[in-house]
Amino acid sequence: MTSPPSPRRVLLTGVSNPLGAEVALRLAPHVPYLFGCDVHDPISALEQMDFVHADVRHAAIGKLVRQLQIDTVVHLAVMVDSPSDQRSIHETDVIGTMNVLVGCSGPSSRVRRLIVKSSQAVYGAGPTDPSFFSEEIGSVERPGSSGVTRDLYEMEQLIGEFALREESCQVSVLRLGFRVSEDTTLARYLSLPIVPTFAGFDPRLQLLHEDDAAEVIVRAVLGDHPGVFNVAAHGVVLLSQAIAIMGGSAAPVLPPYGRWAARMALRALARLEVQAYLADVIAYGSVMDCSRLEAAFGWKPAHSSRAVMDSLARGREIEVIEAPSPPQEYELQVYLQRRRREARNGHRIAPALKAHK
Amino acid sequence: MIQQATPKQRKKNSKPAEIVRPRSGLQLPKQVRQLQRQAPLYALQGVTELSARLKQATGKDVIDLNRVMNFVQFLYKQRDLMRRGADYEVDDFGFDPQWTESFIDVFMVLYRDYWRVETTGIENVPAHGRALLVSNHAGVLPWDGTMIKTAVFAEHPHPRHVRALVASLFLGMPVMSWFLRRTGQTVGHPDDTRRLLERDELVLVFPEGVRGTGKNFKDRYRLRRFGRGGFVGTAIRSRAPIIPVSVVGSEEIYPMVADVAPLARFLGMPYFPLTPFWPWLGPLGMIPLPSKWRIQFHAPIHVEDNPPEAADDQNLVMAVADEVRDTIQQGIYDNLKLRRGVFL
Repeated sequence: MTSPPSPRRVLLTGVSNPLGAEVALRLAPHVPYLFGCDVHDPISALEQMDFVHADVRHAAIGKLVRQLQIDTVVHLAVMVDSPSDQRSIHETDVIGTMNVLVGCSGPSSRVRRLIVKSSQAVYGAGPTDPSFFSEEIGSVERPGSSGVTRDLYEMEQLIGEFALREESCQVSVLRLGFRVSEDTTLARYLSLPIVPTFAGFDPRLQLLHEDDAAEVIVRAVLGDHPGVFNVAAHGVVLLSQAIAIMGGSAAPVLPPYGRWAARMALRALARLEVQAYLADVIAYGSVMDCSRLEAAFGWKPAHSSRAVMDSLARGREIEVIEAPSPPQEYELQVYLQRRRREARNGHRIAPALKAHK
Repeated sequence: MIQQATPKQRKKNSKPAEIVRPRSGLQLPKQVRQLQRQAPLYALQGVTELSARLKQATGKDVIDLNRVMNFVQFLYKQRDLMRRGADYEVDDFGFDPQWTESFIDVFMVLYRDYWRVETTGIENVPAHGRALLVSNHAGVLPWDGTMIKTAVFAEHPHPRHVRALVASLFLGMPVMSWFLRRTGQTVGHPDDTRRLLERDELVLVFPEGVRGTGKNFKDRYRLRRFGRGGFVGTAIRSRAPIIPVSVVGSEEIYPMVADVAPLARFLGMPYFPLTPFWPWLGPLGMIPLPSKWRIQFHAPIHVEDNPPEAADDQNLVMAVADEVRDTIQQGIYDNLKLRRGVFL
């Protein structure tokens, strides 16, 4: 297969989540036409991007792809770590992806590149698994899988079939590692002052920095890298280490057998809705082998798992905002604090500010 | 002399202030903390006095003070390790060498004084580079693995950590999974073996698996089936020599007279052993018997001379597996002859 021409008309689905916004920001200088769609309003205004309210769960998304004559689809509207219920996650991940694929298929389709965000969650976690997941393992159905793991597996099956059927379209699936920016479930779990852990387990965690996640998606869009790739930071941190870095203390109180009991306990003790796959990860750990990514992209994530954890811990050091007089000033203070924190975290500076400089 | 410095120079020389967080969490009352600090000293004083009195009364060293000091040192080392916080590195398999080495003292007591292990052929273990140790497996609990690890670490001129492959069953158990991973063990998966060997590690496999540990006392020192010789294929692909290891003595630590299969199935274990002491004496029945051990490392079998394609040659793989098995079995017979008695 010859490599497709460089992307000209790019559609980003799920552009309103922080990762989507970051990807849009980084892609904007490289592509002539950038379109974004999501159910929610975008979190940051971007002049170069046209935003459409569209739900991938409806077939209209296919029409959108055709009408806009899109040649590159970046499908980020895949829910992995979401407070939504099981049903809407399934609908977004499986039905939504199906709708996107319908839009990309057919002889008249102009789509030449499809980049899909998947997750490390597709591997699940268990005691019988090898210490490192290579890409082939995720392509085999995991016995007894359920929830997000199963949804992602079904989604990747659909994409795999699509890639076989549509030879003119180059498909990259990126299995992103677990991210701990401030609002993910894993980050909130690790930030608890007393962290309930599974009694007698201290698993290895592998993480991915937000920056690296955005970077790899941009690289996949601008380069030619068909196939499935594991994307995660090098090195591991033990759960106990991660908790120590965050300054909390581990309380081994969760029962090692019976996941539902542990999840209920987490809901009651910490008010955390932990998905089944994440509960397994907290018990057994999940580490991916990213050698294929390094070989194909010639690039590897800049932050190690340890560095990702450190940056989360640094970002959490809260500064006290002194006696705010008028409300505008308070807002400004909060804004500046957030910006400082992000800068320390190694994030890029927020787009609005950059434009004014 | 006060150094004159321009603001620019001062800025250049300045360092960012370190953020010091106040200690959080519960704190015991001051008196209790004081007692905590002094208690070890009082205890040591007591033991010294007791040992002196006993020596006066019996004329012999009843309490070996060196041992006591070693034990105290071990405790303090453990405390320091607990206080490391997050300041340590583990490798990608979750192996923490510092932590593992802190336990070597405990295993040395078992190695030297309890089982009086005699190790031969340690020179067959390479000082650098990859190798696959293949051993017989016996005793209800895998103590033989810990003793082989201790033997290589204590007896070899270049102390090395052996990375054993364990049944996935143990990695699903509470405490076990945590301890095994932390001390460098990993799951017995061909992928893991290959990765460890590619990192030039010393890998230990037990091809018999639970068939070996769960065998009846009357079958002792008879090797079980070696599976399909998967370890040979992995060794050829990873270009690592195979070093057969014979362990004698591990069979007698828990003489298993029967296996209650239905109970084992119910508990999700591969076997539920009945020994003269377990489960009748409760946790006391888990204390292994002090049999006399011998470990022999045999000459390496250089399978790495074969081309990698040879790993798919079932004839060759089975031939090598049989050779390894025969070497181990012969080594067991030789060492049994050298041993004067089960407990001598």
